[in-house]
Amino acid sequence: MNNNRPITTIQVVAVVVSTIIGIGILSIPRYMAEAGDSGAPLVSASGIPVAFLGCWFTAAVCRKFPNETLFVFSRRLVGRSIADIFNVLISLFFAFTAGITMRQFGEVCVAVVFKKTPIEAVILLMLILAALSIRRNIVKFTYVHIFYLPFILLTVLSIILVAMKNVDALNLLPLTGNYITFSSFSKGTVTSAALYQGTFVITLLVPLMKKPQQVLKAGAAALFIIGFIYVMIVAATLGMFGAQETKLLAYPTLETARSISIGAGLLERFDALFITVWVISIFTTIFTNYYLAAYSLQQVFRYKDHRLVSSFSLPLIFVFSLLPRNIYQVYTFSSVTAIIGLIFLTLYPLLLWLIALIRQKGGLSNE
Amino acid sequence: MQNWKQNYSSFKQKKTHEDPTIPDQRSEKPLDPDLKNNIKAISQIFGEDADLVVRNFRVYGLYDAVIIFFSSLVDQNQIHEHVLKPLMSPPADLSTIPEERKDLPDFIWNTTIQIAAGNRTKDLNSLPLALLEGSVVLLIDGMDQALHFNLRKIEHRSIEQPQTEQVIRGSREGFIENLEANLSLLRYRLQTPDFRVITAPLGVRTRSQVAVCYIEGIVDPELVEKVMKRLSMINTDSILDAGYIEQFIEDNPLSPFPQVQPTERPDKSAAALLEGRVIILVDGSPFSLIVPALFNQFFQTIDDYSERFIVGSLIRGIRLIALLFSLFFPALYVSVISFNPELMPTEFAVAISGGRAGVPFPAVLEVLIMEVFMEVLREATIRLPQMIGGALSIVGVLVIGQAAVSAGLASPTTVVIVAITTIGSFATPAYNAAISSRMLRFPLIILAGCFGLYGVMLGTIVIVNHLLFLESFGVPYMTPYVPTKWRDLKDSLIRVPLWWMRRRPSFLNTQDPTRLAHELPTTYSDQIFKEKGELDEQQPPHNNDPSRGSSR
Repeated sequence: MNNNRPITTIQVVAVVVSTIIGIGILSIPRYMAEAGDSGAPLVSASGIPVAFLGCWFTAAVCRKFPNETLFVFSRRLVGRSIADIFNVLISLFFAFTAGITMRQFGEVCVAVVFKKTPIEAVILLMLILAALSIRRNIVKFTYVHIFYLPFILLTVLSIILVAMKNVDALNLLPLTGNYITFSSFSKGTVTSAALYQGTFVITLLVPLMKKPQQVLKAGAAALFIIGFIYVMIVAATLGMFGAQETKLLAYPTLETARSISIGAGLLERFDALFITVWVISIFTTIFTNYYLAAYSLQQVFRYKDHRLVSSFSLPLIFVFSLLPRNIYQVYTFSSVTAIIGLIFLTLYPLLLWLIALIRQKGGLSNE
Repeated sequence: MQNWKQNYSSFKQKKTHEDPTIPDQRSEKPLDPDLKNNIKAISQIFGEDADLVVRNFRVYGLYDAVIIFFSSLVDQNQIHEHVLKPLMSPPADLSTIPEERKDLPDFIWNTTIQIAAGNRTKDLNSLPLALLEGSVVLLIDGMDQALHFNLRKIEHRSIEQPQTEQVIRGSREGFIENLEANLSLLRYRLQTPDFRVITAPLGVRTRSQVAVCYIEGIVDPELVEKVMKRLSMINTDSILDAGYIEQFIEDNPLSPFPQVQPTERPDKSAAALLEGRVIILVDGSPFSLIVPALFNQFFQTIDDYSERFIVGSLIRGIRLIALLFSLFFPALYVSVISFNPELMPTEFAVAISGGRAGVPFPAVLEVLIMEVFMEVLREATIRLPQMIGGALSIVGVLVIGQAAVSAGLASPTTVVIVAITTIGSFATPAYNAAISSRMLRFPLIILAGCFGLYGVMLGTIVIVNHLLFLESFGVPYMTPYVPTKWRDLKDSLIRVPLWWMRRRPSFLNTQDPTRLAHELPTTYSDQIFKEKGELDEQQPPHNNDPSRGSSR
């Protein structure tokens, strides 16, 4: 048994998938319907190639340095101080994303299911839970993701499958959408692509992968799986409600789960099941964001491990999550961060990759 | 009374003296040629122990000698028969007795005493320990050697069915307190020369024999090394039970989950050894410790394997459901009632709220009170003698349950929920694992009472994450689920037919990964056969024939 590089390619796929499936799943049909009308599935599918670019650059540059994380080898590529600045930016970005995701999650919880729980308690409890779990190494980090993934996937897939029987194909036609403009389509593409930025987590895993060369394959497979799920959810929701109705729903996926049932009351409350599992999927998302934030900050300070950093970034993330004043601001903040993140996390690996190519550093070999 | 007064006064006198302890074994002290000095030295160490016997006699009627032993530790009949009798009666031919005194120990050793286990020593300091281990020490005047023979005989109970791990199908034998008897139970099941036992005393004062058993050629040597290392680091004066060792060697003592599996069953221990695990036996404890122990193991019984595979798998499923019941049921009930009643079907909600009409407490408190009652009742039932225990449980459960409902302390649904939970916790085969789930139930109930379903979810995530982070002797606790070992999933929630499980658990890193006969590496026994040229190249048909699975 190779103890130094214990993570298999399938595990990387699992981590990426469970990282990405999270907050977005509740509202993606609405965004997509706004952007593409009945062409929403197409719009959401079009985001995948864009997201893949970022994943591809990250994977390409990580493959060149199979024994180090991006935070370490970037110092050699662009210089210590510049790399540190970028690392702080990455850390801030993920901390902010974690905070905003937390806030969105809290808003949904308080609005939909756990009506009696105060939002601060919802957020703080989840953050503390993440902060407690984060104090372990990356191998344990992957274990957490792997364990929860089957539950997340099975629930989401069962909802899609059960919803299929209520789908009216007319709602999905025409496939390209009515009166769709290029600008709204491309805006939808970017929104969709921004949902996949969790792929950055592969940079943590590469140094521990058994076959680091397969990281791109893993990323691609993960994106394909998530893309498939998202497109199917969008299609199912749109097929059930139609584009115009979907635009009006705050959490269309939740509505879908609510409207379906199996048998004569055998499983009526799909939404309870869905929310339950959704809490887990949010946890895995926050977990990754928090981990990345703490890890990159640790690299900046050159601490031995990220325990101290993770404890100290807890209040920071909590403050981030309380920044938006109301739910409208929450969504503005989240879409802005998502787009900044998309650009940043695509261009920075690209930059590193180009520098590595030009300066001919790193090698594909794994000696 | 008079005797005790004397005892008291001598005890008080002794207190003022320096306390003689057993001298360190490492520093040697040669035997004094004068017999009296040796006796004095030994009896000084043990003081006036009532069971220390010092018997003077003359060897062959010629030489002054003494035998010393603890009457409580040795088989006195054997001493009469095999020590005193041959030594006191002179040999048929007196001329064979050696002229020189220094040859006498050899003569006695070789011709007179008919006891297998024994030793000769010139070190006076080693004798007290030998005495404590149940030896009879023979000292002869003017000799520089002492002889000691192990005639240890400890009273022990007979081999019975284990009380904690009852099975429908399977052997009725359980370990007892005596280490030798336990080892013999294992040897009898593992008739292979590769079965290894390493023993050493542990605990400065108790000097309990601790045995580490494994099967060479299967077990990962690193695992044995790790076990030995952890055992060697134990620094304590007493090991009274296997549980002591468990606490010293487990990976995470703060975890509620057991990371070492205790079992009373020799067949289970043998199965663990054959999987490539290491077991630890302690003299004086009827439990063997299996390491490493994973989450999975605590929900498997020997029954699963002796029953046909479909039945085995089904029963495992039931056990898992029972575990989930015992952990989550009350918490879910509380959170649904007090936070998310819309999750219940309407008729059910009406029925429950109708039942709760007269109850003055909030649901959390009600469930907590009933759960605590139940735990108290369970503990009381265990501590009581069996005849009363049964009666008490019936009185407790039926009468108190019924009375609590009619008194308005609890709603009927709560009683049902609590009952299901308790029964669920009894269905877990491992007692210590059941306790952990029982313990974790309470924080979950409180979380449910504070934050509803969300609290339960968070609590679950905490528990699951903790399980994922745990390790037992370097093996992740949730193997084979996470990290996923597809091959080992054959024997996890489901149990596939035995002929499919041709490989040992891969996470144990065994030297011999398969259970098949023809892939066995050359073992000691094979070598013997090979030397004699008796081992046929052609393998005999074996029971693990894979074709058996597909043939109908």
